[in-house]
Amino acid sequence: MSVIAPKFRLGYFIKALLDNVFWAVVLLTLVGIPAIMIILFYADLPIIDGQILTPFLAFTWMTHPEMSVPLVKSFMQTDFFRIAAFPGFGFGALLAAGVIFVERKMLAKLQLRVGPFYCGKVEGILQLMSDGIKLLTKEIIIPAKADKPIFWVAPLLFVGTAAAFVSLIPVAPKTVVADVDVGLLAVFAIIGFFPIITVLSSWSANSKYPFIGGIRALHQMISFEIPLILSLLGVVILTGTLNLSEIVESQATYWWIAFLPIGAIVFFIAMLAELERIPFDLPEAESEIVAGWLTEFSGMMYGLVQLGSYLKLYAFAGLFVVLFLGGWQGPMIWPPFPEEIATEGITMGPVTAQIPGLPLFSQEMLNGTLWFILKTAAVIFFILLPRGVFPRIRIDLLLHVGWYRLIGLSFVNIFIALGLLYAGVLGPEGIL
Amino acid sequence: MTAQLPPGLQLEKVDERIMTLNVGPQHPGSGHMRLIVQVDGDYIVACDPDPGYVHRGEEKMSEYRNYITNIPHLERPVIHDSCNILYPYCLAVEEILGLEVPERAKYVRVIASELNRCVYTMYWLAIYGIFLGHSTMFMWPTGDRELLIDLLEKITGARVTHAYFVPGGVRNDLPANFEDVCLRQVNYFEKRIKEYADIFYDNPILISRTENTGILSRQDAIRLGTTGSVLRASGVDFDIRKKEPYDVYENLDFQTNVLQSGDSYARSKIPWLDMLESCRIIRDALKKMPKSGSVRVKLKPNPKGGDVEVYKRVESGRGSLGMYVISKSKPEPYRVKISVGSFRNLICIPYLLRGEKLGNMPAVYWSLNYWPVEADR
Amino acid sequence: MGTASGIIKALNSGIKHLAVKRFTLRYPEQKLKFVGDGYQYDPTTGVGIAGYKGRHILFHDKCTGCQLCAIACEGVAEAIAMVKVNENWKHNKKAIMPQIDYGKCVFCGLCVDACPFYALYMTNDYELSSFTKEGLIYTPSQLQVKPQVQQDAEIQIDKRGASHG
Repeated sequence: MSVIAPKFRLGYFIKALLDNVFWAVVLLTLVGIPAIMIILFYADLPIIDGQILTPFLAFTWMTHPEMSVPLVKSFMQTDFFRIAAFPGFGFGALLAAGVIFVERKMLAKLQLRVGPFYCGKVEGILQLMSDGIKLLTKEIIIPAKADKPIFWVAPLLFVGTAAAFVSLIPVAPKTVVADVDVGLLAVFAIIGFFPIITVLSSWSANSKYPFIGGIRALHQMISFEIPLILSLLGVVILTGTLNLSEIVESQATYWWIAFLPIGAIVFFIAMLAELERIPFDLPEAESEIVAGWLTEFSGMMYGLVQLGSYLKLYAFAGLFVVLFLGGWQGPMIWPPFPEEIATEGITMGPVTAQIPGLPLFSQEMLNGTLWFILKTAAVIFFILLPRGVFPRIRIDLLLHVGWYRLIGLSFVNIFIALGLLYAGVLGPEGIL
Repeated sequence: MTAQLPPGLQLEKVDERIMTLNVGPQHPGSGHMRLIVQVDGDYIVACDPDPGYVHRGEEKMSEYRNYITNIPHLERPVIHDSCNILYPYCLAVEEILGLEVPERAKYVRVIASELNRCVYTMYWLAIYGIFLGHSTMFMWPTGDRELLIDLLEKITGARVTHAYFVPGGVRNDLPANFEDVCLRQVNYFEKRIKEYADIFYDNPILISRTENTGILSRQDAIRLGTTGSVLRASGVDFDIRKKEPYDVYENLDFQTNVLQSGDSYARSKIPWLDMLESCRIIRDALKKMPKSGSVRVKLKPNPKGGDVEVYKRVESGRGSLGMYVISKSKPEPYRVKISVGSFRNLICIPYLLRGEKLGNMPAVYWSLNYWPVEADR
Repeated sequence: MGTASGIIKALNSGIKHLAVKRFTLRYPEQKLKFVGDGYQYDPTTGVGIAGYKGRHILFHDKCTGCQLCAIACEGVAEAIAMVKVNENWKHNKKAIMPQIDYGKCVFCGLCVDACPFYALYMTNDYELSSFTKEGLIYTPSQLQVKPQVQQDAEIQIDKRGASHG
């Protein structure tokens, strides 16, 4: 939309295109071929239908419709797919990107303005992509007196920890990256990493404003971890298990929020503090300490930190849904898969193609995923809303709220849970 | 904070505990003024404001311009509230030159002055919101202010720095069909600012941040010589529009808002209540305005008065704004002394911030309705 | 309980405002409308006519080269200089007309107030940016041109809020 765009010269355009092509070819040969060699030598190739699946065979089958679907299906059961795409990092990153855009547009509508508008023809949909590309092309500036190894590694640690958190959240029945028996305890352990990473990144920057921001973040996150954990004990008492998938399955008839509303509210407020969302965004208080512990990050390091923040947001919202709102439980609203396609193939005009192996996903899994996404979206809406409505809280009030009120309320919640258990209403021998 | 600090941290220590922070002119939390703050942990021990960053020598430069060419020059200290800062100047020069302002001009002046007061207060409120971290409270006042700036643009021809008041009246009459547009937009504006109650003034987080901070008692307010909304928030009923009415304020029906608590919350609420009163004044003035008449007295070229000294003051958005004009029978004034409300309230900053927590500093400092550009002139 | 009700009222107000119309003026696709043709001044009555104070317009058939506009601007911004023009007018024997430097002009309109011959008015044109400082100096022939100002939007208030449309 700029009127001062430089003049277009065909020579420069063709040169840019050829440059890109050249670099793509170079990278493919220098990196791609050794990678394929390594896979052929070291990776365990699966055996499908009595044949070892070499890459050559895989590419052949890709083009053959009858063989490609079982191939894709078996690929989706592998660990790699689960970690990278669904329901792990890729799914989380996509949702996180969507959340960033929705947050900007929703906040803009609430503030009676427009928000991102120019990138992408429809209300700025491609704004996120343009921001990502911009961050990739910016120079990464390291402060001269910073502690360089830790400074470089801190954003990567942040994203890694957030991704580890995402990997524990069950999205649909039997669709979770890491089905750990002590899932909830693993969640607590991972949450305990975040203050360490924040302090490491702010201390290694060796400058005044990140220092203040890091200390504030440390105070905030540590003082809210205790009510966070205590508020979940009510659910653990009533279900008797720490496994997240089993907690979801125990909510088949009723959701825990109906019996433990105080715990849900305490968890919600502590969650806002852990995520550094307004009203608890002291570590990044813009009008006082420029950008807090993020001040010295530039370029893609900042992009990674934002990605990590929003992955954490999705993971916390997912945890809230799993624990209090019933996870993937919900009435079956996904239309059932027509049986004829599995047995007789798809008919298009005079041509009938038999594609064995369909359906790719079962109906329960799709239905569960849909309900999970809807509920997480609702929770994320309520996490984003206070940003437009509340001012920032002061640090001594924050510590007061975290250490006195929330811990008190979470103890009340535990007593309610114990009361319901011993009265025989809920739990293993309960009437409900 | 013991002896061995790593070499990169730039903290200056006075003694072992007290740290000097420079909340300087280039800081997202200070406007354009430097505050040198000494903190002991989280408590402010002493605060030394250092005004003068934007000093441009307005008073000296006004001695080289005649009475009319001073108009675009003297409105620069506060560019959105320009009518209010030219008001005492015009009143003083009218007395020097012996001019009689027509009735319609007085009403138009009152309307423009009240619109300017609202425009300034919205800008101040927007910055107050962003100091407290409330981004919606930055966007809503800035947006709703456009309704009034649109009206001012229709009247005066410019959005800010209107250069509208002259000695002898105003420079042009209201445009055609102005009253309907004005009433429609002022009514909608009033509806909008009443919505701020839910999201800002009754917001428990805001109340917990500003209540009982920076308390200025009634005697201290009078003793330190404060003015404007700071005075009225401490329980003193003093509004120049009521006590020493100028132009047609005695015919108009409005009231002064006074709150008793004297803390930052009261100081942030008084300008909002004053804006609601301004809407009433504008509606009243539009009703009572004479439907026709001239709005300006025709001046001879290069007007000059005798050997007189005149002091006039009005109530602007920040407090009493006075101009002391000395004329010595020449077309240029001999001396124009501007006495602004912000500079009078400056004494409260070191007085109130001593003993406060560092987190309260933006809330207290900006609630004093301090406009750095005007205080530096 | 007071805090809880305050928080719920604030959240409620936030959700209600999701339904209010957006107020933004989408410049440069939409531009604001003006009433009238710009600020003008009537020397016989001594009162101006309300209008927007944008770029000036100089009527060559009325300007007599009296320099009163340049003298008025001397005390304000010194943006007007008198230059020679290649035109023969009966009422402008010296053939000088004002040239305005918009890098210095503050758009106060005192030059319009000073002109006694109805020759200098202001128009609605406000898009005066240029790539060079010399490009901002408008010669008398450039000031003669009546601008084409695009005007589409104004503030409209209805039940769902105010917007520029």
